[in-house]
Amino acid sequence: MLTSLHIEGNSWLHRLPVRAKLLTLVALSILLFLSGSLPVQLTAFVISGGLYLSVGLSWREALKRVGFVFFTIIFLAAVNLFLLPLSEVSVLTLRLMALVLFAAAVTATTTIGAFMDEITVLLTPLERLGWVRAADVSLALGLVLRFVPDIFARYQAIREAHRARGLPVRPLTIIGPLVILTLKDADTIAAAIDARGFRRQ
Amino acid sequence: MNTRDLVLIALFAAIVVVLGLIPPITLGFIPVPITAQSMGVMLAGCILGAKRGALAFLLFLLLVAIGLPVLSGGRGGLAVFAGPSGGFILGWVVATFVTGLIAQRFVREGQPEVRQFVGFFLASIIGGIVVLYAIGMPWVSAVTGTPFITVATGSLAFLPGDILKAAIATLAARAVFAGYPLLHVRA
Repeated sequence: MLTSLHIEGNSWLHRLPVRAKLLTLVALSILLFLSGSLPVQLTAFVISGGLYLSVGLSWREALKRVGFVFFTIIFLAAVNLFLLPLSEVSVLTLRLMALVLFAAAVTATTTIGAFMDEITVLLTPLERLGWVRAADVSLALGLVLRFVPDIFARYQAIREAHRARGLPVRPLTIIGPLVILTLKDADTIAAAIDARGFRRQ
Repeated sequence: MNTRDLVLIALFAAIVVVLGLIPPITLGFIPVPITAQSMGVMLAGCILGAKRGALAFLLFLLLVAIGLPVLSGGRGGLAVFAGPSGGFILGWVVATFVTGLIAQRFVREGQPEVRQFVGFFLASIIGGIVVLYAIGMPWVSAVTGTPFITVATGSLAFLPGDILKAAIATLAARAVFAGYPLLHVRA
């Protein structure tokens, strides 16, 4: 149900450290937003697209992943054509597509573990201030991954209960029981975590 | 933060993931399909309150950012932040916080039912629609270059659906508030 968008592989982008990839993404965003030149945007678009297609995704999967965002970009570009000069629309559209493709390439070549390591590093200053604990973030993340299948099973059970009574399956009548049943477990789960001393409090 | 709050935040983020797996409903008189996940902002604010609601959404966005396809329709990854709707997605955290603040301020236990409904509805409208659009629309305009007024006009298509979502979230949040109140527990 929760399969990461990471793709196994050994491309150049796979081997690059996460930090370098994220910094490049940030630098690329700033650079492309500062530059209004069409050749720069076109180059970035071609390079990002090339990188994205070289990470080992099938054409179908590659298109599926960016399809929805591209649909929005193209739709807004079509609107822009009526309002702005063509050269400006091309710059705006290519810039966004380049960034989306590069971001998708970073996502496809980075494991969840690598991202989490980087987040732990990023959280260190906040941890020093006593605002947040990196271990808590990992714990919360683990809890989500652990409980999504349970909550989905609960949703299906409530849906079946609706059908058994001949009621239409509507969000309104499903969300209430789903939320109450799920959150009522919080005390038990919290007690189990504390009993095992995971948070060392 | 105590362990119970941490667990509540994680469970709510998981609920938002599951809401994304529920098939969207299409209504004849509304141009865009309604996804249960987009109700999450209003629900998180009205059920968990400002701080825990916003943290639940921050955790959810973390899942998106590290490459889990948890957005409705199986989307995810850094690409969604780079796209035109990135502002709406990042705005969820602020919108949840504001929804929670208003709900905590105006809804009390022991109030007449109608006042609780009004409180939750106002919180959902102001936080989940006004604040969210105030962040999302300028972002779309800044990123795509489409003039703000055009973006704002286009966004009107989403308004009827959003008001309906606020109504559903109000009823659901009030049901949870009656059955298992969490809104005012100190975070």
